[in-house]
Amino acid sequence: MAQWIKTPKTYILIAIAVYLSIASWATHSMSGIENGGIAAGTAIVVDVFFALIKKRKRILPDGAAITGLIVASILSMNTAWPIVASTAGLSIISKHLLVYKKKPIINPAAFGLFLSIPIFHAEQSWWGAFGDLPGWYIPLLLIGGYIVTNRVNKYPQVFAFFLISFALTLAMAYFHKGDAFDALRPPFINATLFFGCFMLTDPPTSPAKTRDQVLFGVIAAVAGSVVYELYGGLMYLFIGLLAGNVFHVLMQRLTANRPKSSSKPSSKPKSKPLST
Amino acid sequence: MAKMNKKWVVLCSTAIAAVYVAGYWTTEIDKTNVLINTDYSSPSVSSSTLEGDSPQVSDSQSQVSTKYNNGTYIGMGSNRRGTIQVTVAIKNDRITDVEISDFAMHYSIDDVIGMPEEVLKIQSANVDNVSGATYSTRAFSDAIQDALNQALRA
Repeated sequence: MAQWIKTPKTYILIAIAVYLSIASWATHSMSGIENGGIAAGTAIVVDVFFALIKKRKRILPDGAAITGLIVASILSMNTAWPIVASTAGLSIISKHLLVYKKKPIINPAAFGLFLSIPIFHAEQSWWGAFGDLPGWYIPLLLIGGYIVTNRVNKYPQVFAFFLISFALTLAMAYFHKGDAFDALRPPFINATLFFGCFMLTDPPTSPAKTRDQVLFGVIAAVAGSVVYELYGGLMYLFIGLLAGNVFHVLMQRLTANRPKSSSKPSSKPKSKPLST
Repeated sequence: MAKMNKKWVVLCSTAIAAVYVAGYWTTEIDKTNVLINTDYSSPSVSSSTLEGDSPQVSDSQSQVSTKYNNGTYIGMGSNRRGTIQVTVAIKNDRITDVEISDFAMHYSIDDVIGMPEEVLKIQSANVDNVSGATYSTRAFSDAIQDALNQALRA
């Protein structure tokens, strides 16, 4: 138990649960909390189902609970419960079906939420990230975001993502392209901050090495910003993350295919042969 | 991988905050200029601008209504996710035509596609809330109400 509390998952779980509680209290509505229960419950059931099918020894659906809570905190509070449950279910199905070396390729919550837009026409409000509340709630997001990012050791990735995202938004404003005004204000800035700190940093679907983290953050930011500039909408963050996830898998495959001897410094000649 | 040094965390955070503030400041000025030039019509601007204007199409000859002036009115509804502009035609106190003339929300227009017909049917801005499309529904309803408010006889 003591070890479980110190895990990154617990940090994220506590942070999102606290955010949902604060947002519900501030909006005087329990519908978001109810959606959280529905989404987390569905995600846990589907996750346990897959764990039983795969005959896994460890059946602790804490990751599924996080996915469910993220889904509930992003979908509009007024979303009908079948849509909430279906989105959470789709997220967990993607986690188990889209895998590489037994690890999920794509961030489950992002994929489910991405699909929920064309399939269910689901509105996303990012209410759990205080998207409907005044801007002075944003420091709360940053505090939790910094703690989680530090715990999962993803500062290079998060900083690269934010720096490039904001720089491209500044360029959009300068050249009068896209809707840069919205991008820098609630609820879109809440979405960007929450997404960068709590979804982009998902350990199984993002790289560990500093160089790869920076590239991952840059790819996600560029892809997302281009989609936002061209089409606006709500899918841009998810498309950016999906692009980063694809990059991560390609890097894993390239690394796996690389001959081990070429990566070992010891295989290289220690010194130049003496010329005769 | 080693943890990032606190100094680097502070430095990077400061750099990101500086870029964000530059963007915020630029877009704020940009928005203000647009509003001054009235190229962009926010709901409040459009309402106040149009209130003083006569309706785009009016038929004073056949004015038999008691509540609304006959004519065509443009209404705006907005929230943090964008704006909806509607064109509402009124004749003899009846809404005869409703058109979504501009949809600038971050949601899909499919959410509100059937609402003009609903307004014609119920003759009111109080359209049924579409499950899962609350923000679009409210913005559309506000836009219709904005147009009806302009049509009200003084």
